[in-house]
Amino acid sequence: MQDFLELSLSATASGCIYGLVALAYLLMIRPTGIINFAVGEWAMLGAFGGFFFLTRFEFPYLLGMAAVVALMLLVGWGTERLAVRPLVEKGAPLLAPILALLGMLVIFREVISVSFPPDPHPVPYAFEIQHQKYFIIAVTALVFAGAWLFFEKTLWGKSFEAVALNRRAAALMGINLSRVTAAAFAGGAGAAGLAGLLVSPNVSAHYLMGVPLAIQGFTALVIGGVGRVEGALLGGLLLAFAEQLTTRYAPIPSGYAQGVPLLFLMIFLLIRPTGLLRARGA
Amino acid sequence: MRLAAWIGVFAALAALPFFLGSYHNDVYRKMLLWITLALGYNFLFGICGQVAFSHFAFYGIGAYSVVILLFQVNLPLPIAIVLGIVICVLLALAVAIPATRLEGFYLALVTLALAQLFIVVLNEGGAVTGGTGGIANYRLPPILGWRIAGPAYTVVIVALLAATLAVLWRLDRSWFGRACRAVRDNPEAAAAMGVDVARTKVIVFTLTSALAGVAGMVYAFVDNTVNPPIFGLDNAFLILFMVIVGGAGRHAGAAIGAILLFLLPFWLAPLVGHHHQLVFGALVLAAILVQPKGLVGLWDRFSR
Repeated sequence: MQDFLELSLSATASGCIYGLVALAYLLMIRPTGIINFAVGEWAMLGAFGGFFFLTRFEFPYLLGMAAVVALMLLVGWGTERLAVRPLVEKGAPLLAPILALLGMLVIFREVISVSFPPDPHPVPYAFEIQHQKYFIIAVTALVFAGAWLFFEKTLWGKSFEAVALNRRAAALMGINLSRVTAAAFAGGAGAAGLAGLLVSPNVSAHYLMGVPLAIQGFTALVIGGVGRVEGALLGGLLLAFAEQLTTRYAPIPSGYAQGVPLLFLMIFLLIRPTGLLRARGA
Repeated sequence: MRLAAWIGVFAALAALPFFLGSYHNDVYRKMLLWITLALGYNFLFGICGQVAFSHFAFYGIGAYSVVILLFQVNLPLPIAIVLGIVICVLLALAVAIPATRLEGFYLALVTLALAQLFIVVLNEGGAVTGGTGGIANYRLPPILGWRIAGPAYTVVIVALLAATLAVLWRLDRSWFGRACRAVRDNPEAAAAMGVDVARTKVIVFTLTSALAGVAGMVYAFVDNTVNPPIFGLDNAFLILFMVIVGGAGRHAGAAIGAILLFLLPFWLAPLVGHHHQLVFGALVLAAILVQPKGLVGLWDRFSR
């Protein structure tokens, strides 16, 4: 029982990380339709931001965290400016920005691999080791509560939804599409960077940490469905529990737990391609 | 006449290795393999418009299956090759059928997860895959009593390239190739014209994955070793980048992109060391932003 409680706690904490990455995808995919594979690399940048501010310059934790988020908002905004907006303005097909973002993914990863030595870089815990999981859960809960309030209660959130439902009509209603897109990318980078910062004390910042997080994040998104913010968190939690139960009880090498996301992707695409939660009014 | 010209080109390509030293022969045949891979991926991505990250994983699956079937299961070569192709086809179908049911980029998502899992399976596979060290020290069994090695094996690779190009060329000029282009340009219109969009995607993905698998089988006897680092995710992106930089949707574009991005690291090494990936990323971004038709498109503009 004790064992199961511990497993639940650590699964909930990893589920929160996946949920944050899924939220990052969702923030961008809802208004623009663009799936940004660089999300994992953004999480990696967040982890290195943590190393930079917290380990090297020994900022107090909350100040360092704020600095990382601010940095990521800037990265997201800059990425949109450089790799997305010129293509959208040219009227290029949707695939073009997605491919441009893949180019950005490689650029992010290589810039980090050039600037830091290849060994893992330690990032401190927020308080103590044993409290990190609670901290992850608390921060994620706050972020999701904020995202939910944003979409449900604010005019800005409504304009995001309007763009998601019908870009043309939204533009005709006077919603500034490029501002919504820029905000979506900044917010996505913020969420992804936060996920990277929160997970980095356990795994250390490493330039190859992005891809597994990117895969787990979009699996969470497919499980939960792209329609609703809560879906991202629900999908993340389900995936994390499945992974932890597999490593704990299935008689296979623990590395194979990385096959769980693929299995979930196939099952959900086959039997419930819209995800568990349906979009409101759709 | 055209056919004669092509035969001449491939005869020259096949004759070349006999005049190269062993180092240049090695570089040359790896370049030919990359061209083969890029041509296959171009049919999926450039002509049919589907993004997948598993092309290089299928190259690895082909290489590993033929080695395992030959030397761990001790099957004869022809049966190992056929079974290897069957494995690639079944895996491709298992991935593509769920992933193409929806509009959107689910094939890219699922194949990225597959490529990642493939590396895990290689590393954790114990005695079957040889774990992190892979499998080495095997030799191509004699074919009709003849051991093919050195420059003669490069001729096999030229034949592979010619066969791959011939298959893709014929398909591209057929009804099926036009259906693929329609699926890429406007799936709704394609469906209205009676093209089964999902089925077209599944067939193209399975076919190109099987071609990658066959190329992998040929690769298995180039270095006579297969190990996990060779088949990493970097190369999955690299194939996509080759096609984008060269010019998606054109066989010539895929070939030019493959040659350029394969040779670039050799020239860049004195400048940037092992960080040529950074240059690749910048090249891709530049290509998409200013020259979406790639180098072939640039050539068209200046030759007119």
